[in-house]
Formats: sequence, structure tokens, C-alpha cells
Amino acid sequence: MMKLLGTTALASLLATGAIAAEVTVGAANVSDYLDPGRDHSNVGSQFYYNAFDTLVGKNHDRLEMEWVPALASEWKLIEPTLMELKLREGVKFHNGEDLTADDVVFSLNRMYQATFPPYVVRSKDRLSNFAEAIKIDDYTVQVRVEREEPLWETLLNLQQVMIIPEEYTKGLTGDPKVAEDSDFEAFSLTPVGTGPYKVAEFQPGQKVVYERFDGFWGEQAPLEKATVIRMPETASRITALKTGEADIVTNIAPDQLELINADPNLKTEGSATALFHVMIMNVNHPHLKDPKIRQAMSLSIDRDLLNEALWLGKAVVPSSHTMEEMGQLHQPDLVTFEYDMEKAKSLLAESSYNGEEIVFDAFPVYYTNGVLAAQAIMEMWAEAGINGKLNVTEKWTGNDPEMMARSWSNPMYFADPFGSFGVMWAPDGPSEGAGRFNTDEEYAEMWERFRFNGDVELRNAAYAELMDRIKQDPPVLPLYRPFESWAMKSNVNWAPKKGHIPYVLDFRAGSISFN
Amino acid sequence: MTDISHSFTLKAIRLPGIGLWKQANWIVRIATLVGLALVVLSVAAPLVAPFDPNDQSLISRLRPPLGFDRYKDGFFLGTDELGRDILSRCTFGLRLTFALALAGACISLLIGGTLGLVAGLAGGHLDDLIMGLVDAQIAIPMTLIALLTLSVFGSSIDIMILVLGIYGWEQFARIIRAEVKKLRQMPFVEAAQAAGAPPLRIAFVHVLPNVVSPIVVQFTLNFSNIVIWESTLSFLGLGVQPPTATLGSMVGTGRDYLPTAPWIVLAPALTILLLTFAVQILGDWLRDHADVRLRSR
Amino acid sequence: MIGYTLRTLIKMAVTLFVIVSLVFFATRLSGNPVDFVLGVGITEDDKQLLIKYYGLDGSIWTQYWHYLGSILSGEFGLSFLERRPVSAIVAERIGPSLKLIFGTMVFTFCVSIPLGIAAAIYRDRLAGSAIMIIAFLGYAVPAFVLAIVMIMVFSYWLNWLPVVGNSTFSHYIMPTIAMSGMWVAALTRFTRNAMLDVLSQDYMRTARAKGMPERVVILKHGLRNASITLLSVMGLQIAGWIAAGSVVVESIFSWPGIGEMLVRSAIQRDYPVLQFGVLSVAVAVILINAAVDIAYAYADPRIRLAKGT
Repeated sequence: MMKLLGTTALASLLATGAIAAEVTVGAANVSDYLDPGRDHSNVGSQFYYNAFDTLVGKNHDRLEMEWVPALASEWKLIEPTLMELKLREGVKFHNGEDLTADDVVFSLNRMYQATFPPYVVRSKDRLSNFAEAIKIDDYTVQVRVEREEPLWETLLNLQQVMIIPEEYTKGLTGDPKVAEDSDFEAFSLTPVGTGPYKVAEFQPGQKVVYERFDGFWGEQAPLEKATVIRMPETASRITALKTGEADIVTNIAPDQLELINADPNLKTEGSATALFHVMIMNVNHPHLKDPKIRQAMSLSIDRDLLNEALWLGKAVVPSSHTMEEMGQLHQPDLVTFEYDMEKAKSLLAESSYNGEEIVFDAFPVYYTNGVLAAQAIMEMWAEAGINGKLNVTEKWTGNDPEMMARSWSNPMYFADPFGSFGVMWAPDGPSEGAGRFNTDEEYAEMWERFRFNGDVELRNAAYAELMDRIKQDPPVLPLYRPFESWAMKSNVNWAPKKGHIPYVLDFRAGSISFN
Repeated sequence: MTDISHSFTLKAIRLPGIGLWKQANWIVRIATLVGLALVVLSVAAPLVAPFDPNDQSLISRLRPPLGFDRYKDGFFLGTDELGRDILSRCTFGLRLTFALALAGACISLLIGGTLGLVAGLAGGHLDDLIMGLVDAQIAIPMTLIALLTLSVFGSSIDIMILVLGIYGWEQFARIIRAEVKKLRQMPFVEAAQAAGAPPLRIAFVHVLPNVVSPIVVQFTLNFSNIVIWESTLSFLGLGVQPPTATLGSMVGTGRDYLPTAPWIVLAPALTILLLTFAVQILGDWLRDHADVRLRSR
Repeated sequence: MIGYTLRTLIKMAVTLFVIVSLVFFATRLSGNPVDFVLGVGITEDDKQLLIKYYGLDGSIWTQYWHYLGSILSGEFGLSFLERRPVSAIVAERIGPSLKLIFGTMVFTFCVSIPLGIAAAIYRDRLAGSAIMIIAFLGYAVPAFVLAIVMIMVFSYWLNWLPVVGNSTFSHYIMPTIAMSGMWVAALTRFTRNAMLDVLSQDYMRTARAKGMPERVVILKHGLRNASITLLSVMGLQIAGWIAAGSVVVESIFSWPGIGEMLVRSAIQRDYPVLQFGVLSVAVAVILINAAVDIAYAYADPRIRLAKGT
């Protein structure tokens, strides 16, 4: 019996080793739906890049932004607010349809002029400047914006404006001539794109199977097949790697790295992901109205100690809400957030704080080290004299007026301060709209200069002013860029690429290979 | 037959413990000692624990127990993922777990016992109603009830006790009802009924003493189940709020460290093992000795 | 007889109605899906937009009325998260769940009934105590600890058994044992106690006095009579497995079953999935209970007689 089991396990080990063109990924989470337009979750971003393309591509090997032709072979600004794009010819969707300007206009306008509520919600925070896409001929499209747009390529490279087929989508339910809400719902279960892999099987929340798409317009995919299976338990994921049931596994906590790296058949790859774990604070909560209290809450958190202890020093603690991916807009010299226990204590003494309980909400398992960091923060607060209480809950309390502080993450949705800080802290953006952040005319004016100015220096200056406002009346503290790791068999060459948004599982040509 | 059981009861009352101790075999004696030790430990937790169970030391996380490399002086059982002393957390965790499980088991006995007795004695529509409730309870996964209760009322120790108290009442109810129904056919109960004894008297004098044995067994089962279930809630992220330690929450949140720092889980898991073991062996033994018919053989 | 059946059916329907209503109101009291994953980081206006889109804007009574109506017409709606009919989701997961439960059931009964009988027969000897101690172990270890320890030993170190999914027989070994642990302990104990009860009855003494061999006495008379108590316990256990037992094991072994679906939909307040899931489980449990009741009445003539009068 045991011998039999032993040999089957061995056989499967050999099998996965021999046919290197297939991989199995054990992921902590798998999406419940696959539609790049409505999704901006950390779970979802793993999946889209293999199966979908944007008009403007990006060289993901580099940290710096380098735009490359993708579904659009060339693009130029023909008016200050009008971009003309020439489409690549001979591109096919996974279902065999040819890509034409109709598909592009359909895909873009489903976001630019959204009526389907999940699209409406998603497009508001980042695409509100985009008015419409217009078909000129079968392979020419124009995109019009409301105001001059400094981030043209960036915003045409977004996951949310990946291109999907018009006819196929409209025909999914009801009237094949009309895009009903139910068409988009159906699409999210049977997604079709133009990428090097087609989604051959999708079991929501459990499994995604990619198969090589032979009709891909670019370089052929290196894998015949890639299967992503949900394996929520850490011990199971690591073991699956060891038994050969998985070739790559995601979400490896720093504490597990040593164990895996000690095994000669396994290795890990990781990076300080382009995303901040943050603490948000409700500026309108009666107990937190005094900015000094929130400054003290922020100043008393020793983020470097958290990094050393929980991330083995591999995370990155920022001095301001800025990331090196932003190139010229990266401002590491700004000091917006720091640790100063003495200052925290004296600010607290000056403030209106009277020992009220300050509740800190945290999701139970969603963020690596999330609950640990929250518990450590409670101790740090206690040292400063803040009476903190941890409340671990699955509930999203960010829209609740009773919410005082909570943990969250602020990903870099695209490589610009607007793509991380800006998505959340714009005037009338989600934070203000949820009632826990206030802006005024002055803030809005700084915002305008930062968002729409064509000159990088002026944008940086305006952003510095915004950061100063955040420092004086803090609604947020970025804790660190978490060090996220993937573990894999030693013969797999794969690593997260610098140019991607967080968590992308990129299996395109040049991204994965085997020894 | 009745004489023997009477003398047994009286003896037990006169010399609590000693008579029982003499009759016990070595396994039961060990279980008793372990049980007593755990009770003492949990009562005296503040005296026994060398550190505050919630004191963190982020620079000395995940240190192993005495006798291993990187051992940190004074932290005999090692430190956990936030550098807290595992011995101290285990002692305080035991204390809270004990309290939670005891309170929970008592509540479910009270609810289930009352309903089961009523259903069994009253019969008719009341029986139907109660059994309907039991069926409904069995058919709704307990995790869902816990999840929804905790999210409506918030997660505090009081609510936790309530949630744990709901756990298993339906088993008490079903078992007691079944026993009562069996007993109702017995001559002595029928005789009492025929003699016009009031229902409450029948319930307390004739029926209740005779269902003690299944109740004791079920109580010990329920106690152990609650201990385990509390850890399952922690596994699902629904247990007591951190940083509070219970044995279950230590195991539930420490499981990710089983491959790398097994001592985090080992100490509380072994304590759970000892606790449930002792309780069940004692329960089983008490049952054997309280069972009238068995002793008469 | 027709009256009895009818009454039982009405009782079942009432129980189901109560469950469905309880779940409906409890979930809505505890927040709506937009308070969870769907609503992370959106403005209040957008939140209202989504609430309206998902049909959560009416008063709770309107929603309840609508829900009852849709149940009667067999429409159980779309999952909020997965946007496909909940019946499709449950259908996808029921198979793996049933297979796991069946495996667990077979394992549990095969192990614990012989163990319990042996423990009763040898109750005064070391063997009896040893059996009970081993059985108690099942109670003393949380299923997830047992599962993870097994994974570490049999998969991580020895590389004998697979940990993910349910495609071959060897995939069943660890999940089944992990799920059985507690139930083996419970059933062994109940079997033992039921046997002890029976062993002390007068008719057993009579049988012995007639000179029947002990084994025959135990197996023929003992087991048959003990099965009355066992039956009620078994009913509870099967129901327990279906309703509760599997979420932990399912998530550890990436087993796409009902338990994991129920907990996930409850956490995210995916009402349609949760409601349909609970309803399906409840129907299954109630049917099993009814079957057990009938078997119970059949096995114990006293109850059958009582019901007849």
C-alpha cells in the first residue's frame, strides 16, 4: 500500500519535472470573477495580464516607465485633448474573432461612459477625465479627454481598460445587439481576451486554467498550460510545492522563507511590492477631530521596528507616500511620516485626548502579518499613552462613521502618485466620499496642480504641498511596502517583475522558463 | 439492587472523594491528578505565569524552548510570533479556556436538558415544537450561527460564552428526551403517574436521577467539544479578539508556524489534550459508577 | 398512516420555513455584502449605487416577501460575488462534499463500532482502557492540527500522500482521517456505553444462563439492542458532518466542498449562496433525521407501540 502510494507520488513528481511546459500554481486566493474592468483587488490583479492586452504596452522588466506598442501599434496626440491610436492588424481574440476598432471603442466606452454599476464605481476614481472613444476606421480609434492629460499612456495601460470582444460580450445574454448588465456579468465567468493564454477553465474562487493561445499576435507563450488552484492554508501550500503538486506557490510569509530556502529543491523569489500597508484614521470621528491625536497615533508607531521584527528588514518603510516606480515623481526626500515617541507623548498631552478607547479595526487574514502588526501597534500606542483596542473583523468599516482607525492597503494601481495616493485621497474621492476625510478649496487647488500640470517639477511641488497637508492633519499612515514572496521549485525561473502592478502572475514569453 | 446504589450514594456524600479514590484504577487516578493540577494552574495563573501574557518583545520573536539553540533566558517554553512568553500565555489561556468551556457546557446543559426533559415528559405539540427547534439547530451549521452572532453583537468574551453555550444544546435535548421516553415506559414511572404524582415531582424524583449517566457523558463530551470548537473558531478567524490568549486561539493562530516554530502550537495543543483527556476519563468513570444497573451486575 | 406521514411532512415544512426565515433575518441584521469585500474603498454614493444594483435597497419586509416568492417559484438567484446561479455553485460543490462525507462515514463506522464493542467487553482490562484512551485522542486534537501534522509527516517529510484536491484514492486518506477523529471518539464511546447498558439487562443474563456463548450473546442480542441508542447518535453525526464538519478540512486540503462555500458566503454576506446552501443542507439533514426516526421506531418496539396508541 505504502509502496504504491510512494510510487504514485514519485511518478507525479517525475511527470511535472519532465513536461516543463506546464505549471501549477498554488495561490492563497483565486478570484470570484474575471473581468479586468470591474476588478481592482489584489487577488484579481494576479490573473489578467496572461489573458488580456491593453492598447499601450509597458516594458515590465524595467522599473522606469517605458511604453511599447501593444494592441495599438502607434499613437499620437492630434489635439491637446484628443489622442489618435492606430490598431495592430491581424489580432485575434481567443474565440477566433478579429480585433477591430469596434471592440476597442466598446471596451473603452464601457468604462469611460459606464452604465453597469461595478464599472461606474471603478472608473470614477481613475478614469473620470476620459470622455469617450471614437471609431475612425476599422483600425483607427480616437480617445477624447475632458482636460489636458499628463498621464495618457499610463491611463491607457490600466488593467481596467484591457480590451474585450464586443460581439461576443453582447451576445452572451439577451439581445445580441445590446450590452446589457447581464452580458458583463456573464463575461466575468467566461472571459475572452487577446492575450497569449486563453482561460480554458474557470471555477470561481477555486481554479483558473490557462492554455496557450496559438493565435496570439506576439511572441508565443512559453507554457502549454498553467493551472492556478486555491490553497488557502500556508502549510498545505508549502507542502504541495514539496510533493510536486505545485510548481509555484504564492503568499509566503517572511517567517517561512528560511524553511523553504533550506531545501535544495526549492527556492523563493520576492520583492517589496508596489503597495503600502496603511493605517487610515477617521478625521471626523468625535474623539479624533483634534489633529494632534492623530499625529500622535502616527508618530508613536515605530515602523522600522515592525519591519525588522515582522519582515526581517525586507519591507520598505517610506518617509512619504511615494514609490520609486514613479520615476521623476518619486520624492524620497519628503518627510511626511516618521517615528518620534517623545513628540507623540507631548502632542497627546497638548491635545484634547482624555484616554478614550481608540478602536483599530483589522481584517483577520487578508494581509500578511496584518494582525501581528496591529497587535504590535497597540503596544506602541500604549507606550505613548493611547488606549488602543484591536477589533479583528471581516467587515469593511471604512464607510462607517463609527470607524476610528483601521488597517488597509493602498496599492499602486499605476506608476504615478495619482495611481496610489491619488486614487484614494482625491477631493470627492473614495476617502472623502466615505466620510472619513475632508478637503477644502486650498486642497482642491493643490490637487488640480498636481493632477493636471504638464510640468513634472510643478507636479512634484504641488504633491509636496499635499503631503504637508497630510502631515498636519493626518488621515493615513503608510506602514511599509510589504515584502511579498513566492516559492517555487529550483528549476523554475520566475520572479515578480519590477514594472508590474502588485501580484501579477506573468507567464508571458520571457517571464518564465525552466532549467 | 436499590440498596447497593443507596449505600454508594450515601458513602460518597459522607466521604467525598476518598471512597471514590479507592475504587479508581490507576488511569482514573492519573486523570484526577492531572485535572486537579490544571484547575490549580488556571486558578493560580497570575502567580504561576512568569510574565504578563500580552507583553510583547518584537526583537525576540519565535525563540524556542529551554534546551534549544537561541533559547531566551526565562522563557522556558519559548516565545511566540510577537515575542510573548508561551508559558504565561498557556497558563492564562488555560484559565480562560477552562472558564469558557465550563460556562458553555453548563449553558448548553441547562438549555438542552430543560427542553429535552420537557419534550420527553410532555409529549404532544410541545414535543413537536422542541424537536422542531432541535432539527432546525442541527440543520444550520454551527459555524454560521457563531459567525452571524459575533457579527451582530460584536466579539466579546460574554458573546463568546453565549456562542459556545449554544453549541451542543441540541445533543443534550435529544439524548435526554430519548432517555426520558424510554423511562416513561418503565413500571416505576408509570406507577408514579398512576398514583397521581405531579409532573414536576415525576421529573425531578423519578426521571432526572435516572438520566444522570448520559448527561454526565454528554457534559464531558460537550466540554471537550467546546474546547476544540473554540480553536476551530480561531482557525476561521472568529475566535476571541487578539491579543487575549485562549488555548484554542494560540493553536488556531499559531498553526502557520507549525513547520517553522512548532513549539507555539505544541504547548497549548498538549494542554488541550491533557484537559480534554482528564475530563473525559473522569466523566466516563463517573458514568460507570453512577450507573445503577451496571453496578448491580 | 397517511395522517402520520402528512403530519411529518408539515412538520418538516415548518422547520424549513423557520430555518429559512432565521437565516434571512440574521444575515440581514449583520450587514449586507457591500459592507464587506464588494464595498472596500468606495464612496457612499457608489455604495448606494451598488446596493440598488444588487437589489438590496427595498425594506427588509419587501425583500423577505420577494425571497419567499422566489423560493416557491424555484428561483434562488445569482451569487453576489460569482454572478452565476447559486444552484450551479451548490451543484459544483455537492459532489466533492458527499464523497468526503461518505469516506468519513465508512471509516468512522468501520473503526469505532468494533472498538466500542471491544472496549465494553474488556472494560475491566488494560485493553479496554487502552482502546478508550486511543479513542479519546480523537476528541483531544482539533481537526486542523491533526490535518496539518499529518500533512507535515506524510506529505512534507515522507512524500507519501498528496495534499491538494480529490482526484485519486490517496487524496482521500488524510482528509477522511482528519474529519473522522472526533467522530471516531464519539461513536466508540457511545457504542461502548450502549453495549454496557445492554450487557447489564435482564434478557442478557437470561441468554447467558441459557448457555449461549458470550460472543453470540453480545453480537446477537447486545448489538441489536444497543443499535437503538446508536441509531440516534448516528443520525446526529451524519447530520453534523453535512452541516458543519467539513469547512476546516476543505480549506486545508483545497477540497471544493459545501462547508467552505457556506463559511465564505457567510463571511462575505453573499446572501443568495448562503440561503440556498443552508436550505439544501437543512433539507438533507431533515430527511436523514426522519429516516433515523423511522428506523428508531422500527428498532425499538416500545416506541412503535407508544406511537400506535
